[in-house]
Formats: sequence, structure tokens, C-alpha cells
Amino acid sequence: MSAEMANEIKLISGRSHPDLSDKVAKRLGIEVARTISLNYSNQETSFTVGESVRDEDVFIVQSTATGDVNEGLMELLIMISACRTASARRITAVIPNFPYARQDKKDKSRAPISARLVANMLQTAGANHIVTVDLHASQIQGFFSVPVDNLYAEPSFLRYIRENFNAEDCVIVSPDAGGAKRATSIADHLNTAFALIHKERPRPNVVGRMVLVGNVEDKVAILVDDMADTCGTLVKAAAVLKENGAKSVLALVTHGILSGNAIETLNGSVLSALVVTNTVPLGDKVERCPKLRVIDISPTIAEAIRRTHNGESVSYLFTHAPV
Amino acid sequence: MVRNIVVLGGNSHPAIVESVCNILALPACNRILTKFSSGESRCEIQDSVRGKDVYIIQTGFGGNGSKLNDHFMDLCIMISACKTGSARRVTAVLPLFPYSRQPDLPYKKSGAPLFKGGSENGSKKDYTFESVPATPAPNVPRSAGLINGTDITSRLAKTTLGTTPLPNGTSNGTMSPVRPTNGDGSYFAGNGLGINNNTSTQSIIGSYTTHDYENVSHVGAFQAKPGYKQWVAQAGTLVANLLTCAGADHVITMDLHDPQVQGFFDVPVDNLYGRPLLKRYIQTHIPEYKDAVIISPDAGGAKRATAIADGMGIEFALIHKITDRQNASMMLVGNVSDRVCILIDDLLDTGNTITRAAKLLKKEGATKIYALLTHGVFSGDAISRIKASAIDKLVVTNSVPQNEHKALLGAKLDVLDISPIFAEAIRRVHHGESISVLFNYD
Repeated sequence: MSAEMANEIKLISGRSHPDLSDKVAKRLGIEVARTISLNYSNQETSFTVGESVRDEDVFIVQSTATGDVNEGLMELLIMISACRTASARRITAVIPNFPYARQDKKDKSRAPISARLVANMLQTAGANHIVTVDLHASQIQGFFSVPVDNLYAEPSFLRYIRENFNAEDCVIVSPDAGGAKRATSIADHLNTAFALIHKERPRPNVVGRMVLVGNVEDKVAILVDDMADTCGTLVKAAAVLKENGAKSVLALVTHGILSGNAIETLNGSVLSALVVTNTVPLGDKVERCPKLRVIDISPTIAEAIRRTHNGESVSYLFTHAPV
Repeated sequence: MVRNIVVLGGNSHPAIVESVCNILALPACNRILTKFSSGESRCEIQDSVRGKDVYIIQTGFGGNGSKLNDHFMDLCIMISACKTGSARRVTAVLPLFPYSRQPDLPYKKSGAPLFKGGSENGSKKDYTFESVPATPAPNVPRSAGLINGTDITSRLAKTTLGTTPLPNGTSNGTMSPVRPTNGDGSYFAGNGLGINNNTSTQSIIGSYTTHDYENVSHVGAFQAKPGYKQWVAQAGTLVANLLTCAGADHVITMDLHDPQVQGFFDVPVDNLYGRPLLKRYIQTHIPEYKDAVIISPDAGGAKRATAIADGMGIEFALIHKITDRQNASMMLVGNVSDRVCILIDDLLDTGNTITRAAKLLKKEGATKIYALLTHGVFSGDAISRIKASAIDKLVVTNSVPQNEHKALLGAKLDVLDISPIFAEAIRRVHHGESISVLFNYD
């Protein structure tokens, strides 16, 4: 590390979320590296590198756009592989929303554990380090044999709640049993009450019956979850909370995947607001859904990149959100 | 009836799966293979694969509303699912191997405008880790150098060569690369380079390009750093590694563009040949074949074409591409006047090479032109290009779905069925018999 210019951060952006990469680059005070991804007319992805990454510390920011997960993933793998062949010193894949995170177990016979496959693929392509935000199951970190930094949106959510609400008036609600831990952690930090909704799920993307455990009467009920996909769960949960006397209901969700008819579902729901982070490119959804609010997660990601590069501890970011 | 064998088909080419299963006299494995609304692939294998010899057929072709990368990921997920489902052996059968042909370097015959903005000034140059503040300061201009008021559009317009639109007016609609569509729609968001999309509606007719990145107007504002020669990532090795990483124990494919791709794998690869089929077609469907000339449209395919010419004892000619600084031109090595020409190549993508070759052959006095290719991808505006070309008969195999192409090209296109070859290869691999007989049967 004697040479002064050697081993800088090279921030490479995929096509999926250039807005996030730009924000991260701006925070870091650097430029996004000159690369371009295109699709050939035969649909194969091409990745052109326009500057040297030799011996540099490469960070590849690639989210996965809703509906185009495989496209984004393939592009990421090609980018990683290209940087490895170009002699990058270290390649960190910054994947704010980890693809296939929900396919993390063999829940029925011959079900693919696609999350593990993705983990293996990233390592095969040549990733030396993974940075992600709010993994659906933190056990996914165990699928990797390289370091995984799982950042949390929680500090950003805490700040949002403190800035916008009186914590005493709030109840933190987990829309399912699986998210109870995430929700209790927020409730503990705010020193507020906690409630849980129990649901039955007959098939994926279909929501069954719901039961509220806890009291939300005359309170602002804040639903907390890691991802909002079709929003069926959230909207039903919100209705249950309203029926149980909640003053208003809003939802704080890390990954706003918002697929299918999510926007229409949200617009017609009793939710007063859905607050998401910008881990997933939202496109025109913000315009189409007046209830959607976006928290910028790029300061946390940028700081994690800076700390990773400088060899500083990242754990401070688990409890604090950079301003 | 072959026992203990499971044939699992992807979504890319249901017809060949069905046909292979019919030949092997067994039903295709039941599976659910769709997408969740989030865009993630959903795969459930409904028949047991425990202890079975599994063959997964998925070709490297996207079209008819499906995407190549989706198919490839589906394949990896299916392989992985079979592996975790205790399959004894998983063989990936890829009639057309994806990412097998990646051009080497971006070839810019016009010499794309080198962007000589003062991009090496400002924050970037002085940036070291020592100088970065502990808390990064916002509002630092991200790309001070790029905002220098240069209108790159006018530069691009000047350097674009022939700007004649295509005769049938299809221009680039289908041919243009997929530009980023999220965010504000611009890859270089907010760098102030007002890129005018009008430039991308021109297609360079005077150049021999088969891929879009070679067209400067498609690449838009992208410029390599001064002094750095940009390069394109080669995904061939990666794809090979990903298949092995997913758990493939064996790979069967056909007419790899580069046979060296076999060396990328740590597992056995059987590269079948479409050559015998093409040969048989020549012998049975071209009456005057004894006096015909086999043509290779480029130097790279010479070996492939000579193999056929030698095997049948007919003449051979080659088209040589000359690229000097300003122009690319084609030169015929050999004589074709008053002869029937048979163009041989492995892959038809945008059809540029083959149609150009046909034009040259016609000019040189060829009476009739056949074009025989193993893989007919027909991407971009290949169909309309072929329609307008001097090719009298085009012959491809069904390594990718050809129904749509056949409907569009009609009698001009003949499709050869490769499913018997794959079925036989699967049967032989399963029984541990030699498949080398498949390489040179006539």
C-alpha cells in the first residue's frame, strides 16, 4: 500500500439502480467508474469497462429491479467476474436487496434453496465481500464463506419515528410471527408497546386469516417488516388494526418491492403511509402512490463502503444512521 | 422405455423437450417453473428425482416474451433443486450454449469521438483516503469534469457513417440495446450531457457490425478514461463456472462457437455436431451440390466449412473481411461465378455477416445461394434483413424455437430437427455408451 494512488474505492454501478449508486458516490465524494452495461440484440448482457480497476478496491452496487431480478443478478455476476479478470484487489458486491432471500430453505420436497445458489454464484463469480441491507433471514450469511455485512434500516426507521411521531402514542406491530424480533427491537429502542398479528398463509403471495395479539386501541399502529411485495399482508394487517381501534396505521418496510398490483392495493387501503427505503428502485411508484414515502439509505451504504475500505468497524452502523 | 432417467424441461424450448421425451418414450418431469410477481423464479419439481439420472433441457435463447437471463437462472435453479433433491447425476443439456460467442473488443471503425473533456480535474485527482473527511461531505460535484457544455450528440452525428435508414423502415426499434429504464431513464443520470435519442435511430449500414455496442450511437455518452482501452467482459467462463457451481455434473451442447469453451468446464462436456445434419441436407435437397461451392462467410468459420467441403469432395471458397482505418470491405477468395453457393456458419444472430456475404456472392456471379447454419437466433432485425437479402434458401436447426421465424420467413427457411441427436446422446450418456459415433455419422 505504498503507492499513494493505488487501491482507491472504485464504485461500479449496474443498471438496476443508478440513482442509489449516484447518491452513494456523492456521499463518498467520488465518481462512479466508467463502465456500461448493455444487452446485445440476442439478449445476452454485455459489460464494458472503461477504466482500470487493477489493484483497486471495487464496490459494485447492484440492486434488483422488481420483475427483472434475474437480469440484474446476471449483470452483477458478469460485472464481478469482469473485475476479477481485470485484477481488482478486492471485489465487494453491494446488494441492497438480496435476490431470492425468501427461498432460503427446503420447505417442501425438491424445493430449490435459491438463496444459497445465489450465494454460491456470487462467490464463483469472484465476490470477496458482500454488503447487503436487512436480509430476510440473517442465516443467509451462513451460505457464504466470504464476509457478509448485513446492514440494518432500523436506525433510519427509529429516526423517522422519532421525528414524525410521539413515541408514547405508537404501537409497533409485526405483521407476522417471523418478523417479531425485528419489531420488538424497534419497540424496545422507542420504549413503546408491541403487538403481533398472526396469519395463515395457504400459498405464496396469498394471504389467509389474521388475528391480532396485543392492544392497539387509540394508538398509532406502526407495522414493521423487511419487505413489502404484493402488499397483501400489510393491507390486511392494517385493516385488522383499524378494526381493533387503531387511530391510524402506517407501515415501515425496508425493501419496497411492490410487485403486481401493490400500488393499487395500497391506494385503496386504510394505511395512511407506507415508508420504504430506496434499496429497491421505485421508478414511477412514488408518483403513482401518494402514500409512499422514501427514506434514503445511501448514507448508511456509503459509510459502510468507506469503513470497509478503510478497515474500520462497521458495527457502529448497526445502531446509528449517518445523517 | 429408458428407466431411472428424468428429463426436465425449461421454458425456453418446450417443443424440443417434448420431442426428446417422445423419442426416449418417457414423460417429461412434472414441474412448476414460473415467476413470482417480484420477478424471482419459482421452481418446484413435482416428481421424485432421488437417485435418478436427470437431464435438464434449456436452450440459450430469449424471445417470444421470455428473457435469456431468466432461462439461464431457471436452469441453474433447476440444477440446484435436483441436486438438493438427491439426484444421482444432473446433466445440463443446452442445444445453444448461452454467452458462447462474445466478441473480443469493441470495434470502432469510425473511431468514436474521444471525449476530451477535462475530466481529470477536480475532486477525483486529489482524492486519497487521507484526504476524505471522516464524514463525507454532501454536495461535492460528482462529475465536475463531464459538465463542460460539449454537445456529444453533434459529435456522434458527425462521426456516424452511412445514416441511411433500413429499406423497410424498421430502423433500430428491435435492434437497439435495452437502455436503462428505471430511475430517470438515463444511465449517466444527471451528468448534464443531454443525450439526444435521435442518434440511436440511425443504423450504420456501411459497416460490418453484428452487435450493437459497436454502434457508437447506441453506447451514448459512454467513454473510457483517457489512456485506457475499453474492453468487454467475456462471460463464457463465468457461465461455465455458474453451471458447475449450481451442480451440473455433465454438459451436453451443440456446435459451440468456440470449442475452447469445453476447456472452461471442470466437468465433462459433450459438444455434438450439427454438421452431419447439414451435410445430409446438402446431399438430399441441393440437386446440383456436386458442382456447388461451400463458402465460409468469415475466416473464423473456415475450419467448419472446409470440414464439410472435404467430407463431400466439393470446392471451397472463403470470404475475407478487410478492415482498414476507414472502411471495412469483403473480399472473396475463390471462384463462384455461375455456381451454386452454400454458405456454412455456426450461428445466425443479427444475420449481418451472412446477408452481406450473400450480396457479395451474388455480385460475383453465384446462381443460387443457400445458407446453412446450426443455430438460428434471428435477433434484432435479422428477419427483415434475410427477407431482403440474396439468400435463396436458409437452413437452420431447431436448437432454438423456430416456429415464429418459420412463420415470418415462410418457404425461405427450412428447419432441421436435432432432437433425435440429443435424444440419442442422452440415451448413450445414460447407459454409459460412447457417443463419439454421433460426431461423425453420415
